[in-house]
Amino acid sequence: MDILLSHAKKYWGDIFWAVITVFAMVFATLWQPKLLQNIINAILKDQSNKILSIGVWLIVIAAIGLLAGVINTILSAKVAQSMSADIRETAFRKIQTFSYSNIERFQAGNLVVRLTNDINQVQMLVMTILQSLIRVPILFVGAFILAINTIHQLWWIILVLVILVFGISATTFGKMGAHFGFMQKYIDRVNELAKENLAGVRVVKSFNQESNEQQRFDVVSDKLNGENIYVGVLFSVLIPAFTLVGNLAIVAAIYFVGDLAKTDPSSVAAIASFINYLLQVMFAIIIGGMMMTFSARAMVSLQRLREILDTKPDITYQDVPETDLTGSVSFDHVSFTYEGDDTPTLKDISFAVNPGEMVGIVGATGSGKSTLAQMIPRLFDPQEGTVKVGDTNLKDVNEHSLRKAVAFVLQRAILFSGSVADNLRQGKHDATKSDMDRASKIAQAAEFINRLPEGFDAPVEERSANFSGGQKQRLSITRGVIGQPKVLIMDDSTSALDAKSEKLVQQALNNELKGTTTFIIAEKISSVINADKIFVMDDGKLVGQGTHSELVQNNQIYQEIYATQKGKEEA
Amino acid sequence: MSEIKKSIRFFYLYMKRYKLGFSVTILAIIASTYFQVKAPVYMGKAITELANYVIGLAHGVSDKGSFMHSIWLLLLFYVFTVVGMFISNIVITFISGNATNRMRKGLFGKLQKMTIKFFDSHQDGDILSRFTSDLDNISNALNQALGQILSNLAMMIGIVIMMFNQNVELAWVTVASTPIALLIAAILISKTRKYIDLQQNEVGKLNGYINEQISGQKIIITNGLQKEAIDGFTPHNQNVKRATFKGQVYSGMLFPVMSGLSLVNTAIVIFFGGWLAFNGDIGRTAALGLVVVFVQYSQQFYQPITQISSMYNMVQLALTGARRLNEMFDEPNEVNPVNGKQISGLHSNVALKNVRFGYNEDKEILHDVSMNVEKGKMVALVGPTGSGKTTVMNLLNRFYDVNSGSVEFDGVNVRDIDLQSLRDHVGIVLQDSVIFSGTIRDNISFGKPDAADDEIIAAAKQANIHDFIINLDNGYETKVSDENSVFSTGQKQLVSIARTILTNPSLLILDEATSNVDTVTEARIQKAMDNVIQGRTSFVIAHRLKTILNADKIIVLKDGKVIEQGSHDELLDQKGFYSELYHNQFVFD
Repeated sequence: MDILLSHAKKYWGDIFWAVITVFAMVFATLWQPKLLQNIINAILKDQSNKILSIGVWLIVIAAIGLLAGVINTILSAKVAQSMSADIRETAFRKIQTFSYSNIERFQAGNLVVRLTNDINQVQMLVMTILQSLIRVPILFVGAFILAINTIHQLWWIILVLVILVFGISATTFGKMGAHFGFMQKYIDRVNELAKENLAGVRVVKSFNQESNEQQRFDVVSDKLNGENIYVGVLFSVLIPAFTLVGNLAIVAAIYFVGDLAKTDPSSVAAIASFINYLLQVMFAIIIGGMMMTFSARAMVSLQRLREILDTKPDITYQDVPETDLTGSVSFDHVSFTYEGDDTPTLKDISFAVNPGEMVGIVGATGSGKSTLAQMIPRLFDPQEGTVKVGDTNLKDVNEHSLRKAVAFVLQRAILFSGSVADNLRQGKHDATKSDMDRASKIAQAAEFINRLPEGFDAPVEERSANFSGGQKQRLSITRGVIGQPKVLIMDDSTSALDAKSEKLVQQALNNELKGTTTFIIAEKISSVINADKIFVMDDGKLVGQGTHSELVQNNQIYQEIYATQKGKEEA
Repeated sequence: MSEIKKSIRFFYLYMKRYKLGFSVTILAIIASTYFQVKAPVYMGKAITELANYVIGLAHGVSDKGSFMHSIWLLLLFYVFTVVGMFISNIVITFISGNATNRMRKGLFGKLQKMTIKFFDSHQDGDILSRFTSDLDNISNALNQALGQILSNLAMMIGIVIMMFNQNVELAWVTVASTPIALLIAAILISKTRKYIDLQQNEVGKLNGYINEQISGQKIIITNGLQKEAIDGFTPHNQNVKRATFKGQVYSGMLFPVMSGLSLVNTAIVIFFGGWLAFNGDIGRTAALGLVVVFVQYSQQFYQPITQISSMYNMVQLALTGARRLNEMFDEPNEVNPVNGKQISGLHSNVALKNVRFGYNEDKEILHDVSMNVEKGKMVALVGPTGSGKTTVMNLLNRFYDVNSGSVEFDGVNVRDIDLQSLRDHVGIVLQDSVIFSGTIRDNISFGKPDAADDEIIAAAKQANIHDFIINLDNGYETKVSDENSVFSTGQKQLVSIARTILTNPSLLILDEATSNVDTVTEARIQKAMDNVIQGRTSFVIAHRLKTILNADKIIVLKDGKVIEQGSHDELLDQKGFYSELYHNQFVFD
């Protein structure tokens, strides 16, 4: 709720007028019965001269009600849109301060849902509050007071009505709540079954399990239907029950006015407006109940947005002056455990790499190669030990200095929609055409970029669907090398290239980026066979470092990996 | 127009069995409407009688008899109204629930009957949304709109009749503003539609942007692009704000405008009623009753207009939903031959004879492919991506039909074999293993639900997964699903091998997984594969060198043609494509 309040500040003016217009609408709704009473009184007392003035009032007030409704809608929509846009922006800005592990904790897809669906809920909530919800208490209190004021002897009818309506709402809405929960459970189950049958359609067919799957589905579908009908029946009872209570109140009111009429004839004139107020009181409670049910959902959404806004980025950078970092990289007893894991992914890793060296990292899947590499651009902070780039502890580094010095090329090449040049400029803001030419030559991307009619201005579609896997990787490498980084990390980023192109990329890196320290994570030993140093990872530990010929001699795990791959080559 | 016709036909087909229910509902609605519109008459009467009584009191007469009479009738009418409402609500709840349930089951049943081609050419998400949003929209509309529209229509007609019965002049005054109200409602609805479309467009762009940025956050962080990400976000956000504002104004306007118009209309009715009391040719007390009654009518008369207009969107969505479900039901089913041959297994050989095939008519994938595999032999299919290996597999248990040529089991064309019988004897292990929600036991006994425990355990042992399973807390009763991570990728594959072993197929099609698994699991998979292949005729799409070396025969596919076949040594001696691939350490993907 405090999210709403803090984002409402800018719009107090509009909100104020929205509330005023709600008051005007309620006033018009509640005043009309009073004027009706006056007219009836006039008829009873035979005062034809009053009819015209009351009639004009009637119409003026109704027109005010209509106008207020229109203005209220416009203001409510404006506030709802502006606030939700502001909240969305605040949340997006907040996400941009997140570290990668913050993002992973939320899961990227989940964050997207929060920024879209949840914000949408909030927007509807604000609209509902301004348009209907604040109307409910005003209407309730106003109608209640006016009803008692109209025929004060019948105060107890109103009270009984209020108690009955509250009672009915509380019991049925309460029951419904639980069954909405069951319903959601079965809906999820229906989706799960449909989803797995889509994914496993070949399995179902080849095992001839169509009718069994249908039975499984029917059971769930019937249960869902049972819940649907249960809730439906509650509703079927609810609405008539409200109507009945309201109607009984009307009958009771008329009946008891019959008694009152003897002593107080004016109550006859009041009866129509009294009934009207009774019904308004009832509607206020019903609408209030329904709005509350709806708002419960929006409250969940608000909570989910809160979680984003309340998250503290777990990596923050020191406010120190920017410096030029050198290409040396060192790990000193670094251990790292992913959140939620029991065992560390990196265990006590130490090494030092000099500027300009080329380092290969090999090891089985899950041995910690990628995690090790991700510590260098500080995607994660180690729990123990220090990581240094250019002799600076990453916990004390200026963010901009680190970004300038380190470039990271992922295995799964991610490009953003826009143009090729837009993507390349992500690696260097002010990259010139010649920068792009140079970098794309290194990454062996020049040949296909030049074949594109628009060259570097060629569009990149969403999900970069217009490029093949190998092309995407080459563009991603281009982006990595364009800023002439001091440290370049390639996380299995040539996996979609053929052996020849891979070799050409490596040669170009050697020739063109001589001063750059390069880390190459590879599945195949052949990709790193010429490295200055090869790190061998096994189960989170750095179990060997040295050149290929050294490791082949003295490292058992390296020998094993090499043997299986050599097998492929020679067997 | 024919689209709407189709949608309506769809509803008709699902609804026609509820004729009795609908008759009850409609009768109940008519009855309840009759009582509801008639009730104010007695309220008016009661008040008139009361006024007479009060005036009578002044003249010393005190008779409340006719007042009480009206009160009792009013009460009776109110009770009948509620009873009718209740009956129609309940019946509609059951009809709409059951109809939706039948649609849901029918849709699932249709999925089970459709061709693999359909699933391969449609996105899962799109099909799934028919189970979720489309069925949801239909169910909402049936549940709410159906009853509401029927009762509101009845209400409107009833009120109009009543009003004209009571007093023609006041009735005309009450309905006079209807055309204006309808016109305004129509304008608001069409404007809303227009701006909602615009809004969807902008929202789609914003969502796309957010999705792309956050999915690529690693790049944004490592390149320090946070400021650029925000700069790109702001204009999208502003566009959405602008576009949504108009949509929301128009859609939010309907209710306040309608209740405002209702206020104005009621004011006019009261005004005119008051005037009528003095200038009309009816008595003052009678006019008094009329005013009270018409105030009620005027309010009740506007309700249906508001309600029906606010249902418009719901109905629109339901019609779209029906159209999309219809699309599914119109898709062709798998073809099963009439009186297809029942087979008892594979006895001599499986053959592809001069097979030509393409997923689309204009693009042929397999060009005149022939191969012959003797019973009990293992064949490794190798070749680069797109060479047609997977396609061959799709033809063997008739996921697709060939364009020309034939696939033959013991010399019988698969098109002449009963589909179920054919698939009973062909087992497949896919590259991406599928886990169904349920217990591990359910998953292994998937193809043979009545399998005994020892059969299941034997299969799991052969698949090298038994040890892992019994070490779980709940053993074979452990609940699994595709999303929970009881199994690693490699173990999932072992489960699917166990599943296939249990059904004991005589022909096996196995698509070896390419995903990286640790060395221990890899050895387990290898062993499980050896077990499952043992003694069966098998086609293996091979990615591992070891598998290829184990094969009795290697068939090399390239660009949809068989270019080489023979044993490993024979192929090496040929010094052709295979030997080149082999020596250049190309991965067979």
